[in-house]
Amino acid sequence: MSYASTPDPHQGRRSPKRKRSESLDPPSAYHSAASTPYPPGLDGASEHFAFAYEDDNEGDVQTPEIPEELRSSAEGTPEAGAKRRKVAERPRSLDYALQYTLKGHKRGVAGVKFSPDGKWLASCSADCTLKIWSAATGALQHTLEGHLAGISALSWSPDSRVLASGSDDKLIRLWDTTTGKALPVPLAGHHNYIYSLAFSPKGNILVSGSYDEAVFLWDVRTARVMRSLPAHSDPVSGVDFVRDGTLAASCSSDGLIRIWDTGTGQCLKTLVHEDNAPVTSVKFSPNGRYVLAATLDSSVRLWNYVEGRCVKTYQGHKNEKFSIGICFGTYGTTAPEESTADAEVQQQWALAACGSEDGSTVLWDVNSKEILQRLHGHEGTVLSVDVCAQDGAIATCGLDKTIKIYRRRATAVNGQAEGGAELKKEQDVKNSESTEEQTAIGGGGVNGTSQHVHDQQTTKEDITMEEG
Amino acid sequence: MNLPLSDPVLLAQDIPEILTARLRSSGQAVCIRFSHRGDLLAAGTAKGTIAIFDLETNGVARKLKGHTTGRTVQSLSWEKSGRYLLSSSIDWKVILWDLKDGSRVRTVNMGAPVYIADLHPQNHFRCVAALYEYRPAVADFTDKKVQQFALPNLPKRAPHEQEANEKADAKHFTTVAAFTSSGSHVITGTTKGWLNVINTETRETVYSTRLCSKPILLIRLSGSGRDLLVNASDTIIRTIKLPDFSDPNLQADSINLEVEHKFQDVVNRLSWNHVAFSANADYVMASTLMNHDIYIWERGLGSLVKILEGPKEELGAVEWHPTRPYVAATGVESGRIYIWSIHTPQRWSALAPDFLEVEENVEYIEKEDEFDIHPLDELQKRRLDQEDEEVDVLTVDAMQLEREGAANLAGDDGVFRMPVLMGVDESDSEDEMVAIGAGQFRRKSTAREESELLEGDDVNDTDSMSEQANGNTGSKRRRGD
Repeated sequence: MSYASTPDPHQGRRSPKRKRSESLDPPSAYHSAASTPYPPGLDGASEHFAFAYEDDNEGDVQTPEIPEELRSSAEGTPEAGAKRRKVAERPRSLDYALQYTLKGHKRGVAGVKFSPDGKWLASCSADCTLKIWSAATGALQHTLEGHLAGISALSWSPDSRVLASGSDDKLIRLWDTTTGKALPVPLAGHHNYIYSLAFSPKGNILVSGSYDEAVFLWDVRTARVMRSLPAHSDPVSGVDFVRDGTLAASCSSDGLIRIWDTGTGQCLKTLVHEDNAPVTSVKFSPNGRYVLAATLDSSVRLWNYVEGRCVKTYQGHKNEKFSIGICFGTYGTTAPEESTADAEVQQQWALAACGSEDGSTVLWDVNSKEILQRLHGHEGTVLSVDVCAQDGAIATCGLDKTIKIYRRRATAVNGQAEGGAELKKEQDVKNSESTEEQTAIGGGGVNGTSQHVHDQQTTKEDITMEEG
Repeated sequence: MNLPLSDPVLLAQDIPEILTARLRSSGQAVCIRFSHRGDLLAAGTAKGTIAIFDLETNGVARKLKGHTTGRTVQSLSWEKSGRYLLSSSIDWKVILWDLKDGSRVRTVNMGAPVYIADLHPQNHFRCVAALYEYRPAVADFTDKKVQQFALPNLPKRAPHEQEANEKADAKHFTTVAAFTSSGSHVITGTTKGWLNVINTETRETVYSTRLCSKPILLIRLSGSGRDLLVNASDTIIRTIKLPDFSDPNLQADSINLEVEHKFQDVVNRLSWNHVAFSANADYVMASTLMNHDIYIWERGLGSLVKILEGPKEELGAVEWHPTRPYVAATGVESGRIYIWSIHTPQRWSALAPDFLEVEENVEYIEKEDEFDIHPLDELQKRRLDQEDEEVDVLTVDAMQLEREGAANLAGDDGVFRMPVLMGVDESDSEDEMVAIGAGQFRRKSTAREESELLEGDDVNDTDSMSEQANGNTGSKRRRGD
């Protein structure tokens, strides 16, 4: 919670300003920008800002009254190339609200992942099971049993048909998510606990990191090791594939992040921070140009891996002990449900999310490093978080054995009543389904009693927002 | 995405150097073809099956069975997106496969054994086929009812020449046929060394030229469609510049195909089994009859630049990857597929970020503030304050999109992704079984396989036996399925 170590959140936005003030003195800049053309000799960047001003003025006549902070956030959108497009104003905080609390796992839940098609949510737990839930209703679809020890890692295949899980029994299993059955041949080869997993974007390769300090690339079709990379000198806590599958990243408690060439199996780059804190999770950015990594010094860092340089440090959460999952997400000015069919018109900003050992989940704006929102609800450490690519829903899980799904409220403009009603409606649907679900599972004799009892009371109270 | 991190020296290399892999065989491969995006390799076998290899895993992604068992697959031709594949066989059939589910979209009986079939570059429901002792044909199978149009065999001649040649023409057949890049014309090669250009619509020969007196074995177009490579049985490989056939103003009279280069081995009089262009047609490559090497010539100067050595057997079909310096060839005896590419050594500086690879000793000059002591907090704060650059983690640059093949195709439907089938390769390939005694077999261990990739130590003739073994253990493969 403490904010002391974070720098002034607007700091990051100052640089373009400074540039402009070199040639024009700041107070007159606003007025002259709209009316008079820029003097020649201004560089291209300033010209771009001239566009931004003009657009602003078109939409809103009272430009001079707009406070400086808002202005700076509008011009400093992550999309520097969005020249003539109407520049929307980046929201300074988000309004995620708890929608469902999914209960059913008997021990801590180590990981959650939305399926790539956005329909399902998979969770893996120390109770040796995986569960697949409906992302929309929160109803339990399958409980996947077969591992002999706790499960630390899971990954969806890109077609959402297969789920891979990595367990302390040293095996990786692949599950058919439509039937809930394990595929017959497990991926055996690691000499110690499986710690991390990721599918390649084509679904033909699986990368795994293990306590045996190696990274394996598996041929999914034949369930055989294609390549074993002598990656690290400590357990490999995180692995990921870049969007075109040509690179894989791995990180370890030895403090290193390594980038591998999938085709040749060679290490192309090693990233290390001066403090050498154990790295617990690594993710490529959606466009593949950066990696995000969480370290046990309560920091999440964004690296430009080509230059080997840390470009952003996100702080404000507590992470000193547990291996906590991180993820990227996007957000717009409104909840995605509200947006019309032409979704690309709506501007998107990137967010980074990480769980905290104080039970909250922190969402940062990638560019400004500001905290957009803290999601509360869990007791004890939040172990993993995932953002749904389709509707922006956020799922978290933790040591308290529960999974929570958060969704954006309706837009602030439309008022909260409407959004609240919508959420409520969905809950009702879910409750009616859950009774059926319980009987069905009771028949199977598995976890019959405690299936995802939804705690409606928490929905409103548990949400507190903190402005960044 | 690995390009910015790759060694520029290695990236600049455009011809493969060494044998790097051997694809786990799935029968005796006789013809191979890379998909347009280069992520898949189709291999047709002497037994009529087709295997699709995933070049990222070097494993079999799909097996296609539909040609008459025991009849050699003659040719393969990919549709642009990589979803459809056309295969032809001497069993008279041409089959269009949908790789999404492995089904046969169309099976066409051409009425004669097929030498070679080429898919129309724009319309995958059209193909041209060269038939054994018959006229070549364009087949249109848009509807279930297939329409076949015969093309002329004979070169274009002035009327007075026709009668004189009547007798010889009776034995004049087409051996190869290929579409031009726009599909407006078909180029064919004949048993008497003629090259014919035929208009696809009117089905009339618009131009003919005689290259030699021996049969033409293979003609291939470069990726751009402006270069033609011809292999004939007179042991000479020819390259020919083509006019732009897609130009609507092209007059039939103005076509003139001139031989640009001739490649041959005058000393050893080698004949060439199979030829191919490199990705951008800068190089010409050929496998040699009764010899184990692949010859690579640079086309601009016409000089021999590389001889790829590798397995101890003669090589049949050779193919150059559509984008990378990566060459695949089939072994004539074993039917294995060998891969040549560039060896990429590990750069040690990549493993330790504070190390630098230098050519020679460099005197280190200490920076002014290098050993200044600052309080940790201040350092930390300074570091955080420096992080004010704009980062964009969402926008994918256009170059990358193009490489991923999504740029000019709208939506996700345009990009075909090969589905991942589990266990497709399992115990199916012959040389995975090793005979360890009379009637006894065991599977090769995984450790063995890896070393074998390079050594290529041969275990022949386990073919029929391993199938028996598979039958005994109650697993997948059945003969003549």
